[in-house]
Amino acid sequence: MILDLERFQAQARPRWSKLESLLAALESRPDRRLNLVEAEQLQEIYAQTAADLNRVTHGALAPDLRQYLERLVARAYAELYYAPPTRSEIWQPRRWLRIFTAFPETFRRQSRYFALAVMITVLGCALGGLGVRYDPGSVDVLLPADYLRNPGQRVHEEEKGQSRDLPSAQLEAAFSAELIRHNIQVALLAAALGVTFGIGTALLLFENGVLLGAVAVHYTQQGFGLFVTAWLLPHGVFEIPSILIAGQAGFYLARLLLRRREDRNVRQSMREWLVLIAGLAMMLVWAGMIEAFFSQHHAPVLPYGFKVVVGAAELALLTIYLLLIGRRDTGAEARTSVPSENK
Amino acid sequence: MTNSQPIRWSTTAEVTIATPEGVLFRLPLAGPASRLYAMLLDTAIVLGTVNGVGLLVYWIFAKAPGFGVMVITLAEFAIGFVYGALLEGFWNGQTIGKRLFHLRVIDQAALPLRIEQAWVRNLMRVFDALPFAYLVGGISALSSPLMQRFGDRVAGTLVVRQTPLAAPGEEFWTRQKYNSFMDYPAVAMRLRRATTPELASLIQDALRRRNEIAPYARREIYRDLAAYLQSEIASFPDELVEMLSDEQYLINAAGVLFGYQRLSRLHG
Repeated sequence: MILDLERFQAQARPRWSKLESLLAALESRPDRRLNLVEAEQLQEIYAQTAADLNRVTHGALAPDLRQYLERLVARAYAELYYAPPTRSEIWQPRRWLRIFTAFPETFRRQSRYFALAVMITVLGCALGGLGVRYDPGSVDVLLPADYLRNPGQRVHEEEKGQSRDLPSAQLEAAFSAELIRHNIQVALLAAALGVTFGIGTALLLFENGVLLGAVAVHYTQQGFGLFVTAWLLPHGVFEIPSILIAGQAGFYLARLLLRRREDRNVRQSMREWLVLIAGLAMMLVWAGMIEAFFSQHHAPVLPYGFKVVVGAAELALLTIYLLLIGRRDTGAEARTSVPSENK
Repeated sequence: MTNSQPIRWSTTAEVTIATPEGVLFRLPLAGPASRLYAMLLDTAIVLGTVNGVGLLVYWIFAKAPGFGVMVITLAEFAIGFVYGALLEGFWNGQTIGKRLFHLRVIDQAALPLRIEQAWVRNLMRVFDALPFAYLVGGISALSSPLMQRFGDRVAGTLVVRQTPLAAPGEEFWTRQKYNSFMDYPAVAMRLRRATTPELASLIQDALRRRNEIAPYARREIYRDLAAYLQSEIASFPDELVEMLSDEQYLINAAGVLFGYQRLSRLHG
């Protein structure tokens, strides 16, 4: 015990109290901004208190005092080293609207992960399709749900409207919400599974692809190709790309986690990941509404040709949006110059 | 005075932060149990709010219940994520449950949480909640030295305990006028030098919580502690020890360990 704690405390207590009141004032302020005088004052008392903490840690047996000073130093440290976003930045509607351009920009910037997601899905599709084509017995394994296995019956029911007790806008609304919720959940999972170094994401995409390929081939074999195209295309053109983008987000996350810690620009990367999620959520809201309100209507109410044309038009618009909207100079090189803000 | 002090748990994980100025400070990490309680409370709040709003929505959409279901389904889903992300992002890293259980989410560099971190760690819940009851997240937190679930690892965040703490006040054992241990400065010095910080805070806690411990347990604890100090750390003369109760022995020992004023007399 080197320190005369009593005298030390009597001397230092006024500055601790001052630091406490300064921090309390600062923390109650919504924007947490310091003016110049306060910043200098805080810096000075922080340095003194930190020195006090060092003395208590190494020169005295005072666990309570040490804990108290640690807490105080931690609070002051957080205020000094944190640059809070200003309130005006957060509440500007224009910033929120920027998501509509940021999404395609991010999509293009990280397009190689999208390509990987497409590759894995196509591989799954091929396997599912070939399986059903050359080994009809595999239908039972690949298509677990009964309605997928008997397309003839399903098409008949769909066309007569039998699969729904009360075909009305009411049910469609409830149905669309359920679809949106389910799809976003699955997509989010695909994106989050990036933490398994992308293995989970890849498996989910592959399974999805197998199912898609098997259904497409099975229905086409039975002569319902047009029906299934008209049934799935109007919402599928948004739903399938959004799952692929979820896979893109998942692989992007996996790549980030595989990087060396000091090479990560975590803050920027988190934004990219979040923008992809926000974008695919918007796409899935649209897909859910189309699926419930539009896709479930069949000939003669809506001719199949018309539905296919609508789906194709949607796909064209989506492609234009993802490839052309926003800034063009968003190559990967443009981002590497961003200094690392957080490690 | 003694009762106003928060109870400290000695068996908790903590993280040590080194600042650029070379100052080290420790932050106590939140255990899985308190985090689970906070989460259950938050879930109850979200469900309560959604159902409360739900009644209103059904009333508004009385003629069109399907749209009511649509609004509720989407609201329930969205609020589940938005609640945690927005509260943590804008309310000092705390949800209502976390605030009640004195927990706070911070950046792992001990800085306040940023908004994107709050979103990432809350969206990652879809993975941490797998396969049921947050099993993945729980195992991840228990196996991580920083008690991070996967969402925390990706977002670079920590959940810390933040009990309110006041500057330590004067303890009753520093007020006693005469401490017979001070008559044996050499033994008292040995006691000071040989006592580890852990043992010292154990003695301190035992005395502070005097009135919270049942009498028979107190007798036993004090007897064990006094016997340990006497036999292993510093042996005061038997004729002195025989006159003291175990409690008085510990009060005297604490006086030697923490009684700062008498230190000068000891040196002098």
